[in-house]
Amino acid sequence: MRRFDYAKKTIMSIAKPLLDYAKSLKPQKGFTQSFSAFKRLMKYHRRYCWFIVAILILALVRSILFSLEPLYTTFIIINVIGPPSNTSLLWGYLSIIVLAGIGYAISNFVLTLVHGVMSQYIVRDIRTEYYRSLQGKSFSFYDSVAVGDLTSRATVDLQMVDMFLRTWLGTVLNAVFFTIIIIVIIYPISPIMTLISMATMPLIFYFTTRLWVETMPLFRNMQLIIGRLSSYIQQNIVGMKTVRIFRREKEVVDGFKEVENIYVNTAITAGKIQSIYMPLGPAILTLGIALVYVYAGYSISIPGSVLMVGDIILFARYMMRLTFPLRDLSTTLGTWIAAYAGLERVLEMTDAPRNVEDLPDAKDIKIEKGKLELENVTFGYAKDRPVLNNVTFTVQPGEKIAILGATGSGKSSLIYLIPRFYDIQAGSIRIDGTDIRQFKLASLRRQIGVVLQDVFLFSGTIRENIAFGKPDASMDEIVQAAKAARIHDFIESLPSGYDTPVGERGVTLSGGQKQRITIARALVSNPKMLIMDDSLSFVDAKTEQEIQSAIEEATKTRTTLIIAQRFSTIKTAEKILVLENGSVAEFGTHDLLIAKNGVYKKVYETQFVQKASPILEETGGA
Amino acid sequence: MSGSYGTFSTKQEEKRKRTVPDRVLIRRVYEYAQANKRNLRIGITATIIGAFTGLASPYMHAIAIDRIITPSVTDPKNLMGFLWWIPLFAAIILGNYVFQYIQTYQMRVVGENVVAKMRDDMMEKLQVISLRYFSEGEAGRIISRPTNDANTVRIFLRVGLTSILVDVSSILGSFAIMFYLDLRLSLLAMSVLPVALVLVWYLGKYSRAAYRRTLITTSGLTARMQEDLAGIKVTQAYAQEQETEKKFLKSQDENVKATIRAILIGSSYTPFVIGLRLIGTMIILFYGVNAVLTGTITLGILVAFTEYQFSYFMPLVDLVSMYDQYQSAMSAIERIFDVIDTRIEVLDAPPERSIALQ
Repeated sequence: MRRFDYAKKTIMSIAKPLLDYAKSLKPQKGFTQSFSAFKRLMKYHRRYCWFIVAILILALVRSILFSLEPLYTTFIIINVIGPPSNTSLLWGYLSIIVLAGIGYAISNFVLTLVHGVMSQYIVRDIRTEYYRSLQGKSFSFYDSVAVGDLTSRATVDLQMVDMFLRTWLGTVLNAVFFTIIIIVIIYPISPIMTLISMATMPLIFYFTTRLWVETMPLFRNMQLIIGRLSSYIQQNIVGMKTVRIFRREKEVVDGFKEVENIYVNTAITAGKIQSIYMPLGPAILTLGIALVYVYAGYSISIPGSVLMVGDIILFARYMMRLTFPLRDLSTTLGTWIAAYAGLERVLEMTDAPRNVEDLPDAKDIKIEKGKLELENVTFGYAKDRPVLNNVTFTVQPGEKIAILGATGSGKSSLIYLIPRFYDIQAGSIRIDGTDIRQFKLASLRRQIGVVLQDVFLFSGTIRENIAFGKPDASMDEIVQAAKAARIHDFIESLPSGYDTPVGERGVTLSGGQKQRITIARALVSNPKMLIMDDSLSFVDAKTEQEIQSAIEEATKTRTTLIIAQRFSTIKTAEKILVLENGSVAEFGTHDLLIAKNGVYKKVYETQFVQKASPILEETGGA
Repeated sequence: MSGSYGTFSTKQEEKRKRTVPDRVLIRRVYEYAQANKRNLRIGITATIIGAFTGLASPYMHAIAIDRIITPSVTDPKNLMGFLWWIPLFAAIILGNYVFQYIQTYQMRVVGENVVAKMRDDMMEKLQVISLRYFSEGEAGRIISRPTNDANTVRIFLRVGLTSILVDVSSILGSFAIMFYLDLRLSLLAMSVLPVALVLVWYLGKYSRAAYRRTLITTSGLTARMQEDLAGIKVTQAYAQEQETEKKFLKSQDENVKATIRAILIGSSYTPFVIGLRLIGTMIILFYGVNAVLTGTITLGILVAFTEYQFSYFMPLVDLVSMYDQYQSAMSAIERIFDVIDTRIEVLDAPPERSIALQ
């Protein structure tokens, strides 16, 4: 019974964070937030003030021309049809209507185009800023976000912003200008009727605002849920193998359905509010026409009235035409709601702190020897929970240090501190006596060869991948690096050799082959220092040997820190560093540590002596 | 991986033209809507009635002008006509509002539920199909189906489908009323229609081609972004941020150019449509004025005609612009069913045959 309960408890564990998040989203006052997002969006417009001036002028022209057709139709009714009728004026009026129409069509076309171009430039600027900011974020940022989510912010969310940017200004100006022009035309005809016809405007404005205020938080929540849902799907797909192994399929789907359900309910609630308010504006405006008729009918029947049937028709037609800009305006408000939520998601990442940055006085410094000193280094991903505590050790130029430790002992963190993938909280790290923070980041990183735990190759040719860190590398340098990484012969055996594409459309490489290419990539610029996270432990014996040989060749003359999984690696290292709970437990040569009779000796006896290499301390690494 | 049955279509296949006919896809989506059959029926009925009540309004104006206002100039007693006109008009407006409310709400319920069901089915299927579909590099493409594709369908069902229904009913309704009001004038008003259709279709073809090009560059941009971010640690480790940024900006520029081109082409046919509408208006006014003068039609009908002409041209332009949305929704639906229909290769043994490991 107890076991059953336990199983039940874990049922929702995969989707739980997502579900909790979806449930935690409360409809809140998004109005002021939306306003500050809008102000932020305006800042992006600043570069394009000439576009805005053009849009202003074009919108004014367009509104004026749009108002001429009903006006001249009325002139036809009053002056041509009469009484008294005068057909000679008909052609003149008709040609004005046509000319105004052509002018309207052209100004409309140019306006759409100018607006569209401006929107694309602004979207480009926002996306570029977003991309640049991401380029500068530290590893700790990437440890906490999903790549799929970051991509969808720059595409799906920005698409929402794009939709809004394409028409918003034109639509707003159109509604404002057209209303003003109509008032200017009809006010002299009958001030009272103008007041009557505009009497419904505050009501329309009120309901539009209500629509906005009530639906905005819901749409925002929907978009936030969709963002999370996408990364949930992504995690499921990327980690499908694990899901299958642990038979968690049902759990994944059930959790998904539950969150999806929250989303659907929110969407339907928002839909209900929209369907109440959206058709209300045009309906109220049309009812306003009835009021105009009543007054008009009454005043026209009074003897001596100057009001004519044509005038009343003009009023009615203008009010009918006014429904179009109003409808557009309400659509634009709808797109703003989505755009706002999207923009918020984009800027959230753009504004996230960089963490690791160049100091103002950082310089390009050449690493001459490659002596590495760590002194009282303390580091943690969260401030109050240090992963590394007071770590102190020195590596002489050209020395190879093998780092050992259990999962979570801080091995990866330690070696990633050297190229400043993370910044330490206390202590100092020096290369050739210079604090690494005195280096410019690019200068530091280009001089340290790095083989990450995760073997990632970019789509492109093998040659491009090896030369990644040194795009101007000669073919000779590339081949040298490949030879040292023991991958040259394999590459030569491929039909297109070094020009063989890898990745989605290219040749499929095994994990071992990929790792050796990443080693070649680290060697191509012939760095003085090398850090390697060698956690590829699930390989067969032959590959194991090839990788081993590659590592040996690569580390020969370089100051190297290597996270070791194999005894053969440890054997060839000058010194061994054993990490335990974030502190240096033991540091010294193999003989010294054996003599010391401590942790290393125990590990050595239990893991390496009894079992033949390769050892399998952990699968794949954390 | 030859036949496409039982497998995801490959990237190359995806780029090619769609193979499943629209009617098959529509029928299958309709099957999904069966769970909300009632909502769907009510929604569609309300949409059509709503469109017709919307069209009644210009006709009511014609009546007000001809039967109440114009006669009142000579005999104020006719004003009493407003006593029946105003309640009737208000009822029509109210009816129009109520039907629009029902339509928007019910179609939303249907749309959201259909897409949710599709997405659930996709997720369920993804858990059981062979692991070989999840090979490297394919992840992005698979992910986009329950996310981007599902979203495209959602937007289409929410906005597109309703617009198509409203537009078609408005156009047909306008025609019906115009023919009822005056046969000769309606034929004249519609004389520009064939030209407009041909023109709009022809220009629409260019616009669709440009739109597709935008989609291709967009997915290129997405792929670039995805890869750059997946490899960001490598990029940073080798301090190659500027190099990758250069490539990214290049692919972004291509996308911006393609989009601007699509906007240019997409907006270039509206002037032609407006021009044709103008010609239609001219014809109506020219013959209409003479007809009013000879007493063949009333002034109210002439005014109503110019309004109806306006109210069938706008939906027409709208329908054409809907075509893109319709096409991309159909492609998305096809890709979604592609996942749902994927054959399961490794089936679980039925429970009675499964063996418990002791």
